[in-house]
Amino acid sequence: MSAPTLYGLCAAALVGIGLFGLILHPTPLRKVISFNLVGCGAFLFFGIAARRGAGAGFAGDPIPQALVITGIVVAFAATALAVALILRMLEAGASTVDAKPLPPDDLSP
Amino acid sequence: MTASGLLIASGLAVPLGMSLACFWPGVRERALGWIWAAPIPALLAALFARGGGIVMSPEPLRLTLALDDVGAMLLGGAALLWSAAGFYAATYLRGQPGTGRFAVWWLLTLAGSLGTFMVADMTSFYLAFSVASLSAYGLVSFETTARAKRAGDVYMALALLGEAFILLAFVILALGVPIGNPLIREAVAALPSSPLLAPALILLVLGFGLKMGLAPLHVWMPLAHPVAPMPASAALSGIIVKAGVIGLMRFLPLDAGLPGWGGGLVALGLFTAFYAVAVGITQQQVKTVLAYSTVSQMGVVAAVLGAGMAAGAPGTALLAAFYALHHLLVKGALFLGVGIVAGSAPRHRILIVLAMGVLALSLAGLPLTSGALAKYAAKPLFGDGLAAALATLSAVGSTLLMLHFLRLLREMPAADPDAAPEAGILLPWAIVALASLVMPWILFQPVAGYALADLFEAKALWTAIWPLLLGGVLAIALFRIGRALPQVPEGDVIVLAGTLWPLVQATGRQIETADRWLRQWPVASAMLIVIAISFALAL
Amino acid sequence: MMPAQVAAPDGVLLILALMLPSIGLLAIFVLGHSRPERIALPVLAANLAVALIVALQVGHSGQAATYRLGGWLPPLGITLRADGLSAALIAMAALILFVVAIYARGNFASKAGGSESRQPMVFWTLLLGLSTALNTVFLAQDLFSLFVALELLTFSAVPLVCLEGSRETLRAALRYLLFALAGSVLYLIGVALLYGAYGTLDIASLHQVTRADRATSIALGLMIAGLMAKAALFPLHLWLPPAHAGAPAPASAVLSALVVKAPFFLILRLWFDVAPQPQPVIAGTMLAALGAASILVCSVLALRQARLKLMVAYSTVAQVGYLFLVFPLVMGSEAAVPWASIGWTGGVLQLVSHAFAKASMFLAAGLIAEAMGHDRIDDLGGAAEAVPISIAAFALAGLSLMGLPPAGGFVAKVMLLTAAVVSANWWIAATILAGGLLAAGYVFRVIGRAFADPAGGAPPPKAVARSRELAVLSLAGVALLLGFLPLQPFAYLGIGQGGMP
Repeated sequence: MSAPTLYGLCAAALVGIGLFGLILHPTPLRKVISFNLVGCGAFLFFGIAARRGAGAGFAGDPIPQALVITGIVVAFAATALAVALILRMLEAGASTVDAKPLPPDDLSP
Repeated sequence: MTASGLLIASGLAVPLGMSLACFWPGVRERALGWIWAAPIPALLAALFARGGGIVMSPEPLRLTLALDDVGAMLLGGAALLWSAAGFYAATYLRGQPGTGRFAVWWLLTLAGSLGTFMVADMTSFYLAFSVASLSAYGLVSFETTARAKRAGDVYMALALLGEAFILLAFVILALGVPIGNPLIREAVAALPSSPLLAPALILLVLGFGLKMGLAPLHVWMPLAHPVAPMPASAALSGIIVKAGVIGLMRFLPLDAGLPGWGGGLVALGLFTAFYAVAVGITQQQVKTVLAYSTVSQMGVVAAVLGAGMAAGAPGTALLAAFYALHHLLVKGALFLGVGIVAGSAPRHRILIVLAMGVLALSLAGLPLTSGALAKYAAKPLFGDGLAAALATLSAVGSTLLMLHFLRLLREMPAADPDAAPEAGILLPWAIVALASLVMPWILFQPVAGYALADLFEAKALWTAIWPLLLGGVLAIALFRIGRALPQVPEGDVIVLAGTLWPLVQATGRQIETADRWLRQWPVASAMLIVIAISFALAL
Repeated sequence: MMPAQVAAPDGVLLILALMLPSIGLLAIFVLGHSRPERIALPVLAANLAVALIVALQVGHSGQAATYRLGGWLPPLGITLRADGLSAALIAMAALILFVVAIYARGNFASKAGGSESRQPMVFWTLLLGLSTALNTVFLAQDLFSLFVALELLTFSAVPLVCLEGSRETLRAALRYLLFALAGSVLYLIGVALLYGAYGTLDIASLHQVTRADRATSIALGLMIAGLMAKAALFPLHLWLPPAHAGAPAPASAVLSALVVKAPFFLILRLWFDVAPQPQPVIAGTMLAALGAASILVCSVLALRQARLKLMVAYSTVAQVGYLFLVFPLVMGSEAAVPWASIGWTGGVLQLVSHAFAKASMFLAAGLIAEAMGHDRIDDLGGAAEAVPISIAAFALAGLSLMGLPPAGGFVAKVMLLTAAVVSANWWIAATILAGGLLAAGYVFRVIGRAFADPAGGAPPPKAVARSRELAVLSLAGVALLLGFLPLQPFAYLGIGQGGMP
């Protein structure tokens, strides 16, 4: 098994685990972590693309690395925003954010 | 840009401008007293600007106004009735709350309905038709009773449905002409050779038939016309239904000679004519009877158009317009007259009821009235077959229905024993009634191509009189057994639709439940994955 | 590529469209703690001027304006490009943002001499953030820059939802954020796959090399689904009603009018510029089917809402559905290129007229709620007396949603209907008409209640500023003016579409 294939399988596994958590974990914090797992999978895909040197026939393509760095920053910002929202919810009186699932129907703003 | 073109444009601009002026509350409160003046430019245009036209905006929009004979005839009649009814409304509604709002809806409806007679391009027609159709809601639901609200809701729902039919028909029509906004006649000329002729014709008849009240799409009329204030009823029943008539006249390929489609329209029209009489004679409200009479008469107009389309006869639209003009004035005068009778003591009524008798029987073709002229002019279109016989028999039905109406009118509960009709409502009624008697005589010869003397021949007189006599005999029978007839509710088949309402509500609730389920996080996010996989497979 | 073209003067304006709002945003942090609107309003006005000049230049030259950052060519460099469609959309976004800003002075004006307050600060900086993000989405030319732009858009939009800070709005914002992130991450995986397959993310380059193979299909499927989640197409609309209904009116207006359009714009670009030609019919039909479901189901739901803002929010989901009808209509047309077809033009016009109409509607709903003290539709009696201009604006915007003349929505609807008839997609024609009827139902329900007599015992309505009412009316007026466009494909929107470098 070549290294890119192994990485590819890892990436796929990360995405799978992340999606599972994103869909089925009821609590927001776990969803945020799951999102980060899927994101890591996506970044790994970029890494494989770099390794395979698809772009311009380089041995190691530098562009995906730039993309991954940007992507990590974006994911970090997203995580920070999500955590900030969760904290604000705690302050606003939802004492059990971590244990309580998002209610299915919250149309009443 | 010609003087006649400007006059035609002012016919539209003045009522629209007046309705815009009602943005200022001060103007709005006083508007009711001035609505009689809004249709005057249109009336002048109908009299003096025939054959004129104006292009309001250049290519590719080319909104175009043009006044041909058909349009001028209906425009003149409609403008006269709008003006008279507006004058009547100023007295009739004086001191009531919400007259400012009434005036705004009145002016908008008026502008739209006059517009339908003047416009020559498809977009403008749709615009004018929509304005007339939708603004009339304000007139229907002016009274804040539950009955008026229901009538308004039904009216609105069906009016919008009609708009949808017409829009799709217009889209199909416009496909035949490779420019953005074709003139109506260009589009209609291309229609008979279109592969989509069948859906286009069906949609046109559905859409405009709904406005005219062709059965079974007539259900809103017996609900909506009676609940409006009297002058608005006159306008709705006299004029607004003509928006459907002018639509069929303008958009059906009348000179293409389509026997199958024409025959179908004749059948639909005659069915409507008899069906409305049958339901109408069971009604006990004066205005409802008049509304059913409108349905019946519009059935006859549709049959005239159908017969013309079947034969490809030139001049069909003009003959149908002549019939429609007769109905417009007579029905307007009848509704206005009902308001006078209702508001006056029995001893002041006699002359008016007599005059109403003449007007009412005019609808059945009483000799020497506009009805006889209109029927005589349209008769040759039907030929000699079954359709002709049924068209003549429809006059029997009209006689029966009108005698029923006159009996109800005579029995109307008396108002204050001293109440005399006010000049402010008597005068406009008299003008419309007089116009209905005089105007057809002036137009008869140019429209029908017969000499007036033909009308006085014994054969012509007898053709007009025997349906009246037969109708009279039937009416006597009806009065004898009248109590035994079933009481059909207003709007007849709409009651059946009412039974479906719980089903509609239940469907709505089910959709809500489904939505609540779909909006759960696990469901929605699983859907996201499913959609991603489906598209990956499909692409 | 010739260096002269790199330095083309019209290209400089594109970078200005990105920079101006960002500079304004930073300037608020540095200078304007106490009066953020004093910085934001002029910046948005300048942004509007830039967008209009770009739009005029594109129309004047008949060519797309291009700017290459640092003069680097793709795939290493980043290109900004305004073709006819992009130019029209940045002008639309800039105009709506500016009018919303004028309106929002009533909600978020900081008090004179007062110290820094959180809500105005957050609102005005995020509004500028949205402006940057939208301009970037409409101008960027590579799929990764577009990813970053979309994220920037989401991060600016989410806090707007919970400006009020109540638990419900925070929850709505969190739900919005998480679902949008789920969408983004699918999009990102798609981007990675495309890069792996083709070694480039520049749309113009991809346009020439994409083939119909497994990797491309999977990548496009993931990206389109992810973008749908961000566009809140049924059945992925879970986040939109609470988020848009919970946000303050000016924020809702921007979210509904502009933010959900950005992902749709990207789907349009993926479909026509990236996906291998010809696109499979089945996929186009699936997009349209989801659009049709969106129209029918969410219009019915809008009809059944008790709260005005929720009704308007559901109406957004329904109206976004119309946009997705475009795909099979364009494929079924006889036009040589998609942008010459009436269906494509109708779709774009629907996007633009809905943006103006919906912005106006949400702002009007905000004023109605301010005046009446609540937004329960059944208790709106007397609103027509209290805020007549807002009700008029609501009704005019409603005309556009219903597709009645002379509104822009009418022209769009007629174009879509024509395309549906030409391509013999009768089910789409029926859906469009049924959607119009349902829209009429929910609009008239509100108008009818507003004209009713006020309920006894209701508190007297509060007055609202006339200038704000006029701002709302002006947006509805634009939606109405769009109705005077001719019923044919616009050459403007086709500028720069075919001649991709």
